[in-house]
Formats: sequence, C-alpha cells, structure tokens
Amino acid sequence: MKTIFRTIRENIFTPWGIWLTLLGMMLLAALVGGIMVFWKGLSITNLTDLVPWGLWITIDLSSIAVAAGAFSMCAAVYLFGLKRYEPIARTATFIGFTGYSMAMMALLLDIGRPERFWKSFVYWNTHSLLWEVTMCVGLYFTVLLLEVMPIVASFEWLRKKFPRLAEKMEHMHHYAPVLAIFGLGLSSLHQSSLGAVYGVIKARPVWYRPEMSVLFMFTAILGGIALTLLASMLAARLTSKAKVNDMLIDRVAQFLGYLMIAYLYWRFWDWLAQTYTYEPGRTEGFELLTKGPLSFNFWIVEMLFGALLPTILLLYRPTRQTALWRMLALAMIVAGVVAFRFDTNIVGFLAVIPYIPGEMVVHYTSYTPSLVEWVTGGGIIAFGLLAFSVGVKYLRVVDHRITSEEHEVVTVKVGEAVHNA
Amino acid sequence: MTKNKLNRRDFIKLSAVGVAVAAGSRLIQEAQASEGVKGEHQWVMVIDQSKCTGCGQCNLVCHANNDINPDLDWNKVLEVGDVDGKMVYLPRPCMQCEHAPCVEVCPVGASYYRDDGIVMMDYDKCIGCRYCMVACPYDARAFNWEAFTGDNPAVPEWGEPDIERRPRGVPEKCSFCYQRIDRGTSLGLKPGVDAAATPACVVGCPTGARIFGDLNDPNSNVSQLLKKHPSYRLRENLGTNPRVYYLPVTENRVVEG
Repeated sequence: MKTIFRTIRENIFTPWGIWLTLLGMMLLAALVGGIMVFWKGLSITNLTDLVPWGLWITIDLSSIAVAAGAFSMCAAVYLFGLKRYEPIARTATFIGFTGYSMAMMALLLDIGRPERFWKSFVYWNTHSLLWEVTMCVGLYFTVLLLEVMPIVASFEWLRKKFPRLAEKMEHMHHYAPVLAIFGLGLSSLHQSSLGAVYGVIKARPVWYRPEMSVLFMFTAILGGIALTLLASMLAARLTSKAKVNDMLIDRVAQFLGYLMIAYLYWRFWDWLAQTYTYEPGRTEGFELLTKGPLSFNFWIVEMLFGALLPTILLLYRPTRQTALWRMLALAMIVAGVVAFRFDTNIVGFLAVIPYIPGEMVVHYTSYTPSLVEWVTGGGIIAFGLLAFSVGVKYLRVVDHRITSEEHEVVTVKVGEAVHNA
Repeated sequence: MTKNKLNRRDFIKLSAVGVAVAAGSRLIQEAQASEGVKGEHQWVMVIDQSKCTGCGQCNLVCHANNDINPDLDWNKVLEVGDVDGKMVYLPRPCMQCEHAPCVEVCPVGASYYRDDGIVMMDYDKCIGCRYCMVACPYDARAFNWEAFTGDNPAVPEWGEPDIERRPRGVPEKCSFCYQRIDRGTSLGLKPGVDAAATPACVVGCPTGARIFGDLNDPNSNVSQLLKKHPSYRLRENLGTNPRVYYLPVTENRVVEG
C-alpha cells in the first residue's frame, strides 16, 4: 500500500500524471452523471418530444464515424495488399475498438430502458435500419475485439504473467485478412445504414434523400483516417513510446486529400439540389443550416475548415510536409465530420414538422444540452482519450517500427491468404 | 491449383449472391406482409371539424381511461385557424397508419400492427430508443421522460383507467382504446354503436364530433359518412394511409351545425 502511495506521489506532477488526473476527474464526474441518468431517468436531460435525439447521439454517431479508420486501413493493408501501412492499421484498429466502446456507452445512456439493451439483439425487426445498425455494430465489435487481441498481447505484464495466453492472442493476427473481409462488409453496411436511419424518414423532408447513406459512409472514412493519422502524430510528439514513420503518414495524408476532393464534389451537388423549389419542412430546415442558427457550423466548421481548407493543406506539398499544418488539417477534418453529424441530426428536429393541412408555417424549437449531458458526454470522450493514451504507453499502439521483422511469418501467410482468397 | 482457386472464388461469389437474394426477398416479403388489413374489421375514426368546439373533453376521458400522465397527450386538440370568425380545431389522435413509419423503423418490433389495423405498442419489448418518435409524421407519440407516479387528476371525474400505466423510458400513444374494442366485442357489442365497445374519446365527445366504426362494413356509420361527405387525412402525400379521417369545416355545414 505504502509503495502505491509513493508511486502516486512521485508521478502525479509529471505530465503523464497530470493527464491521467484530468481524465480521471472527467471520468469520475461522468460516473456520477451516469448514475444520475440511470436513477432519475432522461428527464434530467434537455431532450424533449420534439428533439428526442441530441448530444449523446452526436457523440455516438461521431465516435462510430472516427472509428472507421479501422476497417478502411485494414482493408487497404490486408485486402489490397498495401502491406507497408500495417503499423497505421494497428493504430486505426485500436482507435476503432475504442470508438465503438464509446458509442455503446453513449447509446446505453441514451436509451430509455438501458436495462433492456439486450432485447435489441433478441427481438428482430429486419425491416428497421436501426436493427441493421445494431446487428452490424454488435458483430463488428466482435471483429474488432478479435483484431485488437494481438495488440493487447504486446502488453509486457501479460506476456510475462500469461505467456501462453499472450501467444494465443497474438496468433489472432493470422486471421487478419479474414477479419478484414468481415470488417469491411459489416462496416460498409452499418456506416451507410446510420445515414439511412435519417435518410429514410419521409416525415422529415430535410433528411429524406438517398445521399445520406453515401455521405455518412464517406465522412466516416475521412474522419476515421484523419483521426488515426492525427493521433499517431500527436502521440509521437508527446511521448517517446510512440514512433512514427513520417513518410507513411505523408502518403496516407495525400490520399486523404484526394478523397476530400471527392467529398467536396458530393457535398456540392447535395447542397445545390436542395436549393431548388419550396418544400415545407425541408426548405426551412435547409435554411437553418445555410442562413439560420446552424449556419456558422455549416459554412465555417463543416465547409470552410472541415472540407475546403484541409483539402488544400493536404494536397499542397509544402503544407502537407510541415507537421503542424498537416496536423491542423487532420484535426479540421475530424471536427468537420463531427459537425456534420451534429448538424444533420439536429436540423431535422429544429424545424418542427407541419401536419396541419394548409399550414405552410413551420414552427421552430431549440435544444441546448443539459449539464448532465455535457458531463457524461465529456466522460465518454475522456474514456476514449484514456484508452488511447494507455494503448500508446503500454501496447505500442503507435509504433511504426513494428513491421515485417516481428511478423515475418505472418506477413508471408497474409500474402498467401490474399492470393488464395 | 488454378482450378481449385477459381472454384473457391466462384463458390464465395455464389454464396454471396445467394445470401443477398435471400436477404432481399425476405425484406420484400416483410414489407408486403405489413400492407393491407388481414382482419375482418378495419377500425377508422372520422372527426367532424364543424362540430368540434375545442372543449378538450376527449383528451380528459382519454387521460382517465388510459391512465396517462397529465404532462403527456395522446390526443392533442389544436387550434388551426378560423372560418367566418369561428375557431376551427383539429383533434389529433394516433392516425393508426396502414403503412406506419413507426412500425417500419422500430428495431425490436415493439410497434406492430393488429389484424384490424390498429398500431400497437409492446411496452415490454421497447428499449426506449425513440426512433419511432423521430419517424412519426404526426407527432403522435409522447415519451415517458419521468415515471408517472401518484394520482391521475382525470380520475375518477372523467373515467376509470382500464389499462396498465407505462413505465419510465418508453414512448406511448393512442391505440384507439383497443381494450374497450376487445372487451366490447367479446361481450357481443359493436364498436362504434355500443358505447362500451367504442374508444373513450368518441363516447366522451359532448358534440358528437367523433365517429368510430368499421370501414370494411359498407353500411357502417363511418363508411356512410365518408361516402356522403368530402373528407381529408393528414399528410396524405406521405403514403401512410391514415385511419383517421377529417370532415372539413365548410360554410354550409357550419350553418347546419
């Protein structure tokens, strides 16, 4: 006991100690908030019948989106044979696992009957997109669990204490190509289904368009890769435990820049099509985005800083190859994706759907998350940061030196498996 | 080796196609199964806006009979403007849509159709995700943000509860008083004719603005009314095919009333 206290005393004022204390405090506050939500129910949130989905859904959608680096990078490495990016896929997989854990926490808070969450796996309405999302997220979480096993196996303590278990977990790496196939399939399904959750709601015309699923899928890949690169670079600057190969990151960042052009193209036509003709509900909702209270989010956070600027910064070689500019561009992409999720969700609610005949006047409502929503939401984010920090420190999550020499046998098998598949 | 490789690839392709076709046809079948009415009756409600005075008694008997939290409404009565200086109201129960968005989107199937077309809620299955509320075009669902404990202020003045109170964390909505229909028909009564077998709001309306009956029966009061008078339904362009019909206020019928 004494030694524990001494260790704490000696380490608390190091940057790592302060970081852990900060995250610990956020988690503790969120724990209190979470207990209050389960005890008092959702009445302590600012959600209403008119705005039944708010901040938590945004966190849920965003953490699933930025977790998409996992399937994108794993597909690139294990299916398309871009083997040298394997260390980045390792980081992406860990972030993916963390992201889906965060999403599940947010969902558990958000549903009215959290003690019945298991019913969503038992009772099926195969016609519901949310059923599809539930199933795919559940299955994909299992895939991620198998995919992070080799990463967790690099934990020194585990290797020493349970060498056989660590070896077994490491062995999971042999199935990486198979897992990548499942990951690609399941992720493609539910990332786009999440968009379709909104896109099929005819009652709210501002959402009702087929692009929703494509845009959700696309932004997930962008945000997922951007966060993976950003987190790797940040970690490498903050701790000697993380080692990056800047050349690899640079190449992926350039690729991301090209993807951003495709994204801008999609958003442009999506935006333009909505400016034509008046439709009650849709036009008002769209104007909330382009002229109303969400216009700062839409034009500045989503479009200017979230799409246009980072595209330039990532495609213009001098800025891309300057660490600071590149990190800034990546951070802006992530923020843009989160803003897109937030705006998309909230815009469908703020312009209240008119159902009174002949009433063209659309009413507006508002929503500001309550303290308990912020505190618990902050705790979920703190959990993500903590998981990543611990991963970097103990599990070599960001370590671009881990390449063929350690997994030589594996990579040969990977090559074969891809060849045979 | 080459042959084997091709075979495996073909096999994977074939099985992928097979799974896709099976899943697709399953979805199409499900979608078809939810259409139309299988049962012998099809209950509909007709609301005559020229008779509605906006008194709100329908909502009070609704609260009493279904034991609803006074903060929630299954049956809002909205003011929708005036005709010749007379205020026009729009009472809004659940539309009991034939193609109900809430049933389509519910991930666990807690919202479902009865054979007579009533859209039901299984409050035990519901996990409280609120997707149904997001999807409902009529704002017909109210969420239990808090547990409803304590006395129901509408009881006993406006009636006695005859269904269970819903727990905290689920959305609830009008069910055309299915419990009254079921109990009534089991006693040989006729919904829409005998008060005990008819939704409470229809019975409780002091001006007779609500009419209830079986649309499958061409001689029923509702079938006759809808044949005689022009009617409309809410947001018909969505294709939900609601089972609540409104008779609009026309200058003629205002005078009659």
